[in-house]
Amino acid sequence: MKIRHFLPLALFSLPLLAAEKTGDYVESFDTTYNSLTVERQGSVVELRARSRRGEFIESAVDLNDPLKLVVAYTRTLYAGLFFQPKPQRVLMVGLGGAGFHRLFAAAYPQAFLQTVELDPKVLELTQTRLGFRPTDRTPVTTMDGRLYVKRSTQKWDWIILDAFRGGFVPPHLKTQEFYRECAGQLADGGVFITNLHATTELYYADLKTLSSVFPQVVLFGTAGRGNVIACAVKYKAPAVTDPAAWPAVSGLNPPLQGHLDLADIRAEHIVWPTAKVAQAQLLTDDFAPVEFLDVVKVNDTKE
Amino acid sequence: MTLLAFHSLVVVLGILSMGFQLLASRLLNPHFGSSIIVWAWLISTFLAAFSLGSMLGGWMSAQPRSQRSRWQISAASLAVLTLAFTAFFGRGTLDHIELAFSEPGTGLLVSCFGLFFVPVTMLSSFGPQCVQYLAARGTAPGAASGVIYGISTVGNIAGVMLTAFALIPHFPVSTLLYLWLAVAILSLAGLIAILRTAPEPAAT
Repeated sequence: MKIRHFLPLALFSLPLLAAEKTGDYVESFDTTYNSLTVERQGSVVELRARSRRGEFIESAVDLNDPLKLVVAYTRTLYAGLFFQPKPQRVLMVGLGGAGFHRLFAAAYPQAFLQTVELDPKVLELTQTRLGFRPTDRTPVTTMDGRLYVKRSTQKWDWIILDAFRGGFVPPHLKTQEFYRECAGQLADGGVFITNLHATTELYYADLKTLSSVFPQVVLFGTAGRGNVIACAVKYKAPAVTDPAAWPAVSGLNPPLQGHLDLADIRAEHIVWPTAKVAQAQLLTDDFAPVEFLDVVKVNDTKE
Repeated sequence: MTLLAFHSLVVVLGILSMGFQLLASRLLNPHFGSSIIVWAWLISTFLAAFSLGSMLGGWMSAQPRSQRSRWQISAASLAVLTLAFTAFFGRGTLDHIELAFSEPGTGLLVSCFGLFFVPVTMLSSFGPQCVQYLAARGTAPGAASGVIYGISTVGNIAGVMLTAFALIPHFPVSTLLYLWLAVAILSLAGLIAILRTAPEPAAT
């Protein structure tokens, strides 16, 4: 009799017990789109994707301090605050391990952060291993990012593009036409933020393509791993390329304080590589040799 | 000399078929992404076209010579016309399909069958006729079949590698589609001319 009472409870508990892993571990998953590794050391859980150049950190979270921005570039994404300091509607293409999401959701509890992720396994692991819980204000939709943007009728204050398959870049998310579609979804005063790898020729083609759509593009070089965060706006005036013109963004929301120093991000501003961009190829839906540009190493990434 | 030209054209048809699959994936990418779902539909469409084309070609090769020539010209014309449609109106058509079908799977099905199925079916229909050409010249049917499908598959491999590593990195997809169209016109015309010279098989 007692067993019969507890059986439903036990059955409901099984998925939860299976989902919550504790202790240090390393796990590998071959998904439809990625080869993923999840590693926990102490309170830090890393989600990594394998590619030909080794493993790329998609995201990491400190379970003891979930608001901490463990991966450097997720902090640099907040450079968007210099251009649109009050994000209320944000679209993020690429979930990763939701490294950006926790702090954003805590700092802007009234904001709406919609995420689009192609790989359902990434969403599952982010929930079961990295402790992310999508809510009504932070929903995640499983579909191709470009399809979502095309079908979206919403306007967004920030659109963040952080979509990789491991180290590989989906060509259709790199073209002039896609950037135009994103620009069309930006609200007035909105900013398009994209995570770029600055170690191959694809970087300069990316910048050329971005600047063909967005009149002003500002770059931030994240220390360490060759990531550059590009912030682009669809208006010519007022000018935003001069750091002196950026607002101080004083009075950060309390959750941001202690986790984010905008002075550090401001210091990551790098100059536009004019000469290299001039020689780069424009990427369009008709001509996007992304995979090939992505294997040609740049000689000088510090330009 | 004729035999060398004949074998070369069989290789070219192989190149056209599988190279076209990679170009098709690039056409679909902006509209439906590059997920495994897109590839599943694309590969299935091409295999269905190979299947139907082979059966159609087998049927054509059993027709009397006069009718066979008419069918060959009809198949080649249809291949060229549908390739031309894809080259000139493919992107515009995909724009419409994408808007017309809210469910991406249905849009993909319509796109794959509307733009790629017919030309590949028609190209594939020449395979069995090439087998019959060799057989009519005295090659044993099994050997003829082995040679044609062997060198056609070499063409398939060449089509994939050439398109992926030499053409797509350097040329716009639209330019490559025009190239495919031009090569299809020339190679099909040449092949039909050669097939017409096949001796009529002896009545059994």
